[in-house]
Amino acid sequence: MNTADRAEALARAAAHFPELSPPTARDLLECVRLELGHEEILDGFQLYGGHLSRVIAPRTILHILSGNTPHAAFQTILRGLLLGSHNLIKFPSGGLGKLEGFSDLLPGALASKLECSRQLEEDWLRRAQAWVVFGSDATVAEFRAKCPPQVSFQAHGHRVSLAIILGDPDLRSCALAARDVSLFEQQGCLSPQVIFVEGDARRYAGVLSREMEWFALESPSPPLSLAAQAEIATARADWEFRASGEHGIEVWKGQGWTVVFEDSAEFPASPLHRFIFVKPLPADLSSCLVRFSNHLGGLGVWPGTPANAARFSEYGFSRICPVGRMQDAPFTWHSDSRQNLASLVRWVDFEP
Amino acid sequence: MPPDTNNYAALEAEIARWMAAGGGGFEDRILEVHRFQRAHNPVYLGFCDGFPEPACWQEIPAVPVSAFKAAELRIFPEEQTIRTFETSGTTGGHPGRHYFCSLSLYEQAATQGWARAGLPMENVVAIIPDAGRAPHSSLSQMASWLVPGDRFFFNRREELMVFLGTAGKTVIFGTALAFLDFFEWLGSRQIILPEGSLAVETGGYKGTRRELPKGDLYSLFEERLGLPTDSVWNEYGMTELSSQFYTNGLGRPHRASPWARGLVVSPATGSEVEDGETGILKIFDAANLGSVCAIQTRDLAIRRGPDFELIGRDPAALPRGCSLVADELLS
Repeated sequence: MNTADRAEALARAAAHFPELSPPTARDLLECVRLELGHEEILDGFQLYGGHLSRVIAPRTILHILSGNTPHAAFQTILRGLLLGSHNLIKFPSGGLGKLEGFSDLLPGALASKLECSRQLEEDWLRRAQAWVVFGSDATVAEFRAKCPPQVSFQAHGHRVSLAIILGDPDLRSCALAARDVSLFEQQGCLSPQVIFVEGDARRYAGVLSREMEWFALESPSPPLSLAAQAEIATARADWEFRASGEHGIEVWKGQGWTVVFEDSAEFPASPLHRFIFVKPLPADLSSCLVRFSNHLGGLGVWPGTPANAARFSEYGFSRICPVGRMQDAPFTWHSDSRQNLASLVRWVDFEP
Repeated sequence: MPPDTNNYAALEAEIARWMAAGGGGFEDRILEVHRFQRAHNPVYLGFCDGFPEPACWQEIPAVPVSAFKAAELRIFPEEQTIRTFETSGTTGGHPGRHYFCSLSLYEQAATQGWARAGLPMENVVAIIPDAGRAPHSSLSQMASWLVPGDRFFFNRREELMVFLGTAGKTVIFGTALAFLDFFEWLGSRQIILPEGSLAVETGGYKGTRRELPKGDLYSLFEERLGLPTDSVWNEYGMTELSSQFYTNGLGRPHRASPWARGLVVSPATGSEVEDGETGILKIFDAANLGSVCAIQTRDLAIRRGPDFELIGRDPAALPRGCSLVADELLS
């Protein structure tokens, strides 16, 4: 199969996952063109400046998926197959739901390029020429230490995302923000954990809580482990205690969601699972985020204007989008601020 | 408003007598303590506004342990504070603080609770700092009531080894981390303690990034000190409390003294779970007179009749995606 054939087959299979913003064949080929310069450069030499070049994909790519969110897995599997590589997929031990059946949706020539397991098979580290590792700093460091120097290593660490509301007197963004928070239970690296509001942040939090409730009625959160329930109950108790004595804190909660308003510039710790903080936008946001500067992921802004994007483009986010679309990253997104196809391949030049 | 000093002293004396007499009628007594605290601590009173008046001890509003960090939970004027114990392993900011205007109930709960659990009061040695070296450690303070001043062997491993080699039946008291350090220092050496000796370990590995499953730790007690698993005890206590809970061996529930109770509640409903089910552990401690007698811990536990089997805080059980949990980064 050439690149175009693979893109077609992948797009057909990906369409079974509408919740994961599946790319079309055109999106996939456009990504190849943007990152590698030519849609067919994986298939043979193409004109490149004053000579010819082609791209050689790794024969085998190892993907370590340590999280439990399907987005990252979906995109890295698509990238590996789009390159035409053989792919060793280590799913998280808890599984990834129907994404684990992705190969069943592929034609045989592509399905045979996927080997999947919830365990890290013994010879996988030796077989792969490229490793893509998702996980915490500790997980990434563990694999980086094991990675031979000749193997390319692509790390995707954990990220903190947030949203900023820059003037929304009619609170039109609240429903959209509730969607961004609630989808994927804040487990994805693009899920906001804090919403900073210019204007009346407490009022925003109150309206957001109603929208969280509406969203939960439509899409209840899935059953949580006892440990996760306990962590949420503990966080609620912590904030409710503080709210009982501090005017600058208010808590709203419902079945499977929590909204906390806190009138301070400190970046709080969310236990995730639809647990969102709303805070006034501090005058010096960069100081507030300084501890996370190497871990920032996505930023949702309202309104999503180029001027607002430009205002925050140097903070360290890899993606800025309008509130309401935080979970809908395009395939061409520079995840972790880099080109994710280009960083896996090598080039061969031919100067006739 | 703070209570009249005489009122506090009178109730303290009454509770001391009640504890000494065996602590029967727990519910009436702890409700009395709760009402006293509610009346004299505006911070706690504000918190209680969100709850109905408790009709039974299980309904007493329990403050989260973080409350000791967020507020000053004392029912006496600041100037009457004689000791302040601080929590360890905090994430940013200042530690949690537990203020005392008198240590007498704490001492009584610690010594009487130890004895009621069946632990000997004689020949106890400690491998933690004494209260003089760690004045803000409630554990060191507790140890000071159980261990003679010259029997603290913190960072004196050679001397401890010599002592244990010649001592008779001994009880060694320390944190799990202190024992682990000692065992690592011992290496392959063994000190077989005389029959009837015991070890009492407490606490975890907070802030050290070291972990050892309890079963593995207890195996080390057997290998290095010759102590069978059942001769190793665990003390469950907290800076925020005055009373302790004890168990020995593996897989057995912790037991309370009659003046304290554990309550395992569902994190979803807040109601007590059925026997054998797991939930969040709340502690009700009538000896915790100067602050709050009901605490919601961060620990998970299994209800075992009137007792509880401790699971502890278990972040490893939490499935994580690629969304960074901020306190992981800040810790």
